[in-house]
Amino acid sequence: MAMNQARVGLLVAAALMLVPLTAAAQPKQPAKAEDKAAGDKPAAGEEGGQVAGEGEPGAEPGAEGEGGEKPEGEGEGEGEGEGTPVGGGLDELCAIDPDACKAIDLPKAAARELDVEIYAVQQIYALRRLRFELNPYVGLTMNDQFVSHTAIGLQTNFYITNVIGVGLNGNFYFNSPSTFNTQTSRAARIGQSITEYQWNANANFLYVPAYGKFAGFSDFIFHYDIYLRIFFNRWFAFTAELRDYIFFDELENQLIAEGVSGDGTPRAQDPETWLSEDLSFTNNVQGQIGLSFFLPPTWEYRLPK
Amino acid sequence: MLRKTRSSSLTTCGPMRTLATALAITVAATTAFFAGEQEASAQEIQLTGPLAGAPAVRKLRLHRDGRFEVTPNVSFTLLDEYQRTYMPGLRLQYHFFDWLGLAVWGGYGFQVTTGLADQLQEKAIDQRNCAGNPNKKECRLTAVNLTRGNLADDQLAKFQWIAAPELHFIPFRGKIALFSSLFVDTDVNIFIGPAVVGLQERADCGRDTEGARLDPCSGNYKLESRVTAAPTFGLGLNFYPTSIFGFGAEFRGVPFEWNTSGFDNAGGDPDGEFPDDAVNGADREFKFNSMITVNLIFRFPDLEVSE
Repeated sequence: MAMNQARVGLLVAAALMLVPLTAAAQPKQPAKAEDKAAGDKPAAGEEGGQVAGEGEPGAEPGAEGEGGEKPEGEGEGEGEGEGTPVGGGLDELCAIDPDACKAIDLPKAAARELDVEIYAVQQIYALRRLRFELNPYVGLTMNDQFVSHTAIGLQTNFYITNVIGVGLNGNFYFNSPSTFNTQTSRAARIGQSITEYQWNANANFLYVPAYGKFAGFSDFIFHYDIYLRIFFNRWFAFTAELRDYIFFDELENQLIAEGVSGDGTPRAQDPETWLSEDLSFTNNVQGQIGLSFFLPPTWEYRLPK
Repeated sequence: MLRKTRSSSLTTCGPMRTLATALAITVAATTAFFAGEQEASAQEIQLTGPLAGAPAVRKLRLHRDGRFEVTPNVSFTLLDEYQRTYMPGLRLQYHFFDWLGLAVWGGYGFQVTTGLADQLQEKAIDQRNCAGNPNKKECRLTAVNLTRGNLADDQLAKFQWIAAPELHFIPFRGKIALFSSLFVDTDVNIFIGPAVVGLQERADCGRDTEGARLDPCSGNYKLESRVTAAPTFGLGLNFYPTSIFGFGAEFRGVPFEWNTSGFDNAGGDPDGEFPDDAVNGADREFKFNSMITVNLIFRFPDLEVSE
């Protein structure tokens, strides 16, 4: 029985070790002949252009290895001091991919003109492609002076590509009329039709237009996107969002119906007269802050940077 | 007995073995979970080898270090109750380091009424026509709080001007990729400073804060100027497409107390939370006075590049 238990434990451990590998950074692509000639594009920081799938057409639109940027001055090694190591670095490449190394004529490759174009972001730290995001948050309406609509909500998204995703979110509201409402009504003897939200549910289409990184106090680097998400690690981020929920609201009728109905009851007692005939086009601008959890929590790039 | 003992020992050890198995699986799972983290960390600076002790970024373009800055800007107040303020302004700044600068900022405000103020003017003033019907019930009840003329001109407070020296800290510096094809240097700045604010409010009436009698508030609507001190602080995000020009936006708060409506909101018993037929300092309320500022940044002389 002990042996059986040990076998089960080892099987479970082995299965768990394989889980992170299911979220590969790039789709599988057939090996191309030109990929093996790793020395075809020498020059500082060119690794970003050589990483399969990074920025290649048809691989990941608008994704890893985010285009090119000419460095200024002496060749800007932007980001973690990366650059092509001399001598020892090539040995490492040969150790990783011996087949590519054999195909390289090193003296000839070294004599070629440098292509100084590099990718500004060589390997995106926090990919979103094919990952789920769970985002609990709290929200507050930013543009209602009369009633405070505090919300707790949950958002879940799935990213089809690194910049496009779909998702659902819902809010549950806690409302409280403001002091401003009381003061205005009392001072001007005029009533404002106010509304209290209960809940809402939404389907979302997401697009992440920008990605970047900051150096903090010249000491550490963190990545962010707009959206806005600040990544603490590859699966955990702080999010801040400004969202406009647009809808047509039914508000209280500001006029009291006069007269009597056919059955002799005052029309003011008829619920049909309590709401305004016109719908109110409403923008509920809500600020949301929360945390994001990405699943699976990690992945592997197919090639080193 | 021996058999019982053995079975007893087996019974005793059964839960222990189950616990041990569960712990082994948990350890394996935890190891598997964090194994990927240790292997694939894109932003760890190597602590050994050729990059030991290297800064986070090399050849950094120093957009601020040792440079003067002239920034025309315009600010827009947020969450306004009765009047929005648009404030063109100018900031002059010098950066001692790439992470620290000293600035002087000032602006002058122009007001536009909100929808609420327009509705009050239309329904509570124009339609009631209290100037011609002063004895109507709603006119008598609002005599202290509502002018018979123009609401904005007679009683709504105005944020007229502001001037503030500021310290700017730039803790974060980096770049952003827009649509994976546009690349811009960026930084985040935090600023703080003491501000002097010029504003107009409804003049005191009824009683002043000392209790001395003043002209009655009914029919007495005029604005008077006041200068107050307030802290100002905020957060900005800036973009530098060229070495001499940049643009950005800042979120700013200028909290102070003022009576934005000109209403008699407080001063009466109990606890001073009720109207008292007087408009004075007791009717001022604390407001955060937030605003968004859009900046166009011009810097000179030429920037330098770090090692």
